[in-house]
Amino acid sequence: MSNESTTQQRQIWLIFFFLGIVMLNFPFLQIFNRVETIFGIPILVLYLLCGWPLSIVIIFIFTKTIQCEDCDKHPPED
Amino acid sequence: MIALQQISITTIVYLTTIVAVAYYATRRREQGRSIVANPHVYSLTLAVYCSSWTYYGSVGRAATSGLDFLTIYLGPTLVCFSWWFFLRKIILISKKENIVSIADFISSRYGKSNYLGMIVTLFAVLGIVPYIALQLKAIAYTFNLLGELPEVSSSPLHELIPQIPHFIDTAFIVAIFLSLFCILFGAMRLDSTERHEGLMAAIALESIVKLIAFLAVGIFVTYGMFNGFTDIFGQFTNLYPEKEHLLLIPSECGSGARWFTMTFMSMMAIMFLPRQFHAMVIENSDHHHIRTAMWAFPAYMFLLNLFVLPIALGGIITFNGDTSLADYFVLSMPLASGQQSLAILVFIGGFSAAAGMVMLESVASSTMILNNLAMPIILRCNLKKSDISSLLLNIKRIAIVSVIFLGYFYYRTLGTSEALINIGLISFMAATQFAPALLGGLYWERANHRGTAIGLIMGFFVWIYTLIIPTFVDAGWLPLSVILEGPFGLEWLRPTALFYLNSLDMWSHSLFWTLFFNVGSFLAFSIATTPTSSEVSQAQRFVQVATWKEPQHQHTRISKAPTLMEFVNLMSKFIGEKQANTAIASYLGDREIDEKGSLSEHEIPNLKLFTEKTLAASVGAAAARIIIENYLSARGSKMEDVFNIFGTVSLSRKASREQLSVLYEAAHAVSSGADLGSIFESILDLLYHQFRFDLCAIRIYNEETNILELRNFRGIDTEFLSHANREINEETCIGTTYVLNKVILANDSDCIDKPLSMEIIRREGIKSFAHAPITVEGQPIGVLSSYSRYAKGIYTDEFIELYKNLAAQIGIAWRNANQTAQLIKASEHEKELRIAESIQLGLLPDKMPQLPGVDIAAICVPAKQVGGDYYDFIVQPPNLDIVIADVSGHNIGAALLMAEARTFIQARAQQLPSSQAILDVLNRFMHDDLTKAELFITMFYLQYNSDKQQISYANAGHNHPLILRKGSKTFEELDTEGLILGIINDVTFEQRHCPLNTGDLLMLYTDGIIEAENNLEEMFGMEQLKSAILENADLSAQEIIDNTMSLARMFQGRRHFNDDVTIVVLKIDNTINP
Repeated sequence: MSNESTTQQRQIWLIFFFLGIVMLNFPFLQIFNRVETIFGIPILVLYLLCGWPLSIVIIFIFTKTIQCEDCDKHPPED
Repeated sequence: MIALQQISITTIVYLTTIVAVAYYATRRREQGRSIVANPHVYSLTLAVYCSSWTYYGSVGRAATSGLDFLTIYLGPTLVCFSWWFFLRKIILISKKENIVSIADFISSRYGKSNYLGMIVTLFAVLGIVPYIALQLKAIAYTFNLLGELPEVSSSPLHELIPQIPHFIDTAFIVAIFLSLFCILFGAMRLDSTERHEGLMAAIALESIVKLIAFLAVGIFVTYGMFNGFTDIFGQFTNLYPEKEHLLLIPSECGSGARWFTMTFMSMMAIMFLPRQFHAMVIENSDHHHIRTAMWAFPAYMFLLNLFVLPIALGGIITFNGDTSLADYFVLSMPLASGQQSLAILVFIGGFSAAAGMVMLESVASSTMILNNLAMPIILRCNLKKSDISSLLLNIKRIAIVSVIFLGYFYYRTLGTSEALINIGLISFMAATQFAPALLGGLYWERANHRGTAIGLIMGFFVWIYTLIIPTFVDAGWLPLSVILEGPFGLEWLRPTALFYLNSLDMWSHSLFWTLFFNVGSFLAFSIATTPTSSEVSQAQRFVQVATWKEPQHQHTRISKAPTLMEFVNLMSKFIGEKQANTAIASYLGDREIDEKGSLSEHEIPNLKLFTEKTLAASVGAAAARIIIENYLSARGSKMEDVFNIFGTVSLSRKASREQLSVLYEAAHAVSSGADLGSIFESILDLLYHQFRFDLCAIRIYNEETNILELRNFRGIDTEFLSHANREINEETCIGTTYVLNKVILANDSDCIDKPLSMEIIRREGIKSFAHAPITVEGQPIGVLSSYSRYAKGIYTDEFIELYKNLAAQIGIAWRNANQTAQLIKASEHEKELRIAESIQLGLLPDKMPQLPGVDIAAICVPAKQVGGDYYDFIVQPPNLDIVIADVSGHNIGAALLMAEARTFIQARAQQLPSSQAILDVLNRFMHDDLTKAELFITMFYLQYNSDKQQISYANAGHNHPLILRKGSKTFEELDTEGLILGIINDVTFEQRHCPLNTGDLLMLYTDGIIEAENNLEEMFGMEQLKSAILENADLSAQEIIDNTMSLARMFQGRRHFNDDVTIVVLKIDNTINP
């Protein structure tokens, strides 16, 4: 993995990180902050219980793109 | 009701299991087969984040204030995105710097500042003591709830033994047990890596247990007591429509801020709570484990929270909307359903959550207390004991017990009040105060200790004011008016509406003001003040951890440096002998030790760094720095900057170019062609001026006197240094340099071991010196010395290389000068030989005798410039005397003896009657001279009487001349008795006669012709000589000689004559008439 792709990886992480903060905070949450239910489960609860595992899956995919031997050769410059 | 025995026995069995697992993990680590060094175990240990506050409290919070309990887990999940870059960086730094706690990390980042470590430790302990209280309360409360004991402070012991003191309740027993466990697995010894695998194994096991227990109760409530998620939500909305807000985020003003605040606080808490920092960073065995933990840890939290809402809502339904004991719904629901075993499992799960947190928090705190609070005091006391490691260990143990019991007393004091409810978030807010110092320290080099310290103090002061004061008000310790009207009636100072900021909830309000003051001071003071030099270096190490390289050349040295053993003893004092020996062995493993078993001077600063780091692992970076500094200053050693010897070189700017320039100057001097003295002077001048030495000297070995004689010097003129010769022995440094043919240097003249040298050096006030052997083709011929009176430690490796090169240049100059002298000598010798050659050739007859009837020719070809062959004619008609002789040797001596013989013959021949007489007299005359010169002469003397056509001859051991009679094809050899001249004094030579008629040919020769060799080392020989004569017999004498010589030369091929060649040919030819 070149330094360039490490930088790219870092940028993708930053996008997801901020996306996560935005999507799990106000005012975004206000979209689902309603009394309605889907399959009998309140929509906000459903949103949080689906959004959360989704972000875990994204992290999981992200960790799989990290090549171990490369990260030793090119430690991020942070 | 569950029998107390049953709960007690289950708890004891579980505790025993934990101890066994911890013990097993410790053993495995000792065997090098760690079970903890594994990404999944690592992820599980991080779940220590989920303490009993979340285990029980999440449900309580969900049942009372709704969904915001999720923020406590969503925050950490979001932070996990950053771990590969952020956490990994912290871990890399911590491994490099041997960081042992968050206080150590901050103190180390800001120039190993001791007081900063103290501040962090105080605040960290302050922040977690209530949190520990909360855990103890949870265990005690659930235990009592399970056993249906009436009082919170009751204990099963009171039932069994009523007379034991009242304060010994469940929480007390738990605290005792946890203290013992922590000492056993957290403070058995001062570990140089501060990793506790036994403890971590226990925590990982507890994480599994609490997850299983929680999932079990969740599944039981959701699918056992109710009919799945939909059923619970349906029943809840039907029964309690007024509690609908629990499933929403209240839309009133400020709830968004509160949601964000809690997410943000939990993001900071997961990174900076002391126990989290300890589990994530300090106990991390491999930073690649982060990759797994990044998803496994959020997944764990997700599973743990999946059933929080169903349990909370189910609890509200089950207990008819009563949420006063919502915190313990997890336990009371199975109890209410009569599921005793499940209840015990839940209790064990809750116990695990609480115990794990208390254990790790107390161990992490004890490390901080020991390193940052106790060590400075111990160091100030300056204990003389050789080994204080056991003292340190005991302090650590006391610290563990103190932290746990502080929690216990907090619980006893405030346990029954409402003050515990928000303790978790208060702790989170305390951890958040470390964020500016840590984040700033990791990414901003300018951040310095003043900014950090003031920021932390401000942050914590505001934290106490905005969160702790309201808690005390709740507990009734302070009047309510403080909250409502502000202290002393100052409304703008109300703790929950500071500066009239009353639109925010308590948490957002506190977060805003703490960070406002914390970050504000941090930035302002960091920018306004200048960091110290040690801080700058640490800042670079931290911020540029991936690219930071140790400077290649050590530019500091230690004067009066401690030895290797002294460093080991110092380490032993603090970490125990065994640990110190292990550490030093691993350090020395890949380093070269010189023949004396000590490290080279340039290795000492590295050893100092290593010692400091090793100590840092046990006592913290700040204390380690103080220990080393005190130790060095106590023994009078100090770190000195290495004098940059190239700094004074005016030729160029960069070191390598400077070296080249100096060498160029030296080479220029060597090749200038000046005489040796001038070259030596120029090189010494160069050394003296460019490097500001006080004296430079060259000594050259004198073979005759067997001493190193001083040839040239530049600088101070003293009797013992600039004029003294040195003997070839190892008593002086110069002698040793010559004998061992290697550079001897003393960067600190106090450290030389030769008494003689020491005396001289002391007398002359020399601080450092170096001697390099001057060599020619690897052999020493002298010594180049330089001395400095003003600086120690000037001889760096770099300079010594240059110095050796200069010595080599001197060697080259010396060799060049020697070769020139030899060439001159050789050419003078050559000239002498040429003179000798011309004299010698002049001694030979310049022309052939012109006699009627005689055709005579001769040649003499010396093999070298001067030869030992000789021929001569003495004409006394009718007689013609022919002499041919060969003096052994081809040197001047031989030539002189030949000249002597010739002179004698020329002078005496006419007076002596016969060949025999001439040889006889000559032998007597020459004998002594020849004997003295160890030479001898072979000679053939022949007299031809033209009238009688007869020859008479005598021989002194010479080759037999040949006669070829007219018409004959065979040769006669002229042979008479006679010994070589110069062997014995009294020799009788035989004289013979024979006719020599017209047409006869006589050849006299020396052995040079017959011994001429070709490439096959075959000799020309008699036969070839004879056949040459035969072939040319009809030609003139001169032609015979010429042809014979050319035949011999052809035979030799490329070779030259080994010996002088002389041939005389005499032909009796009546037609000749001069």
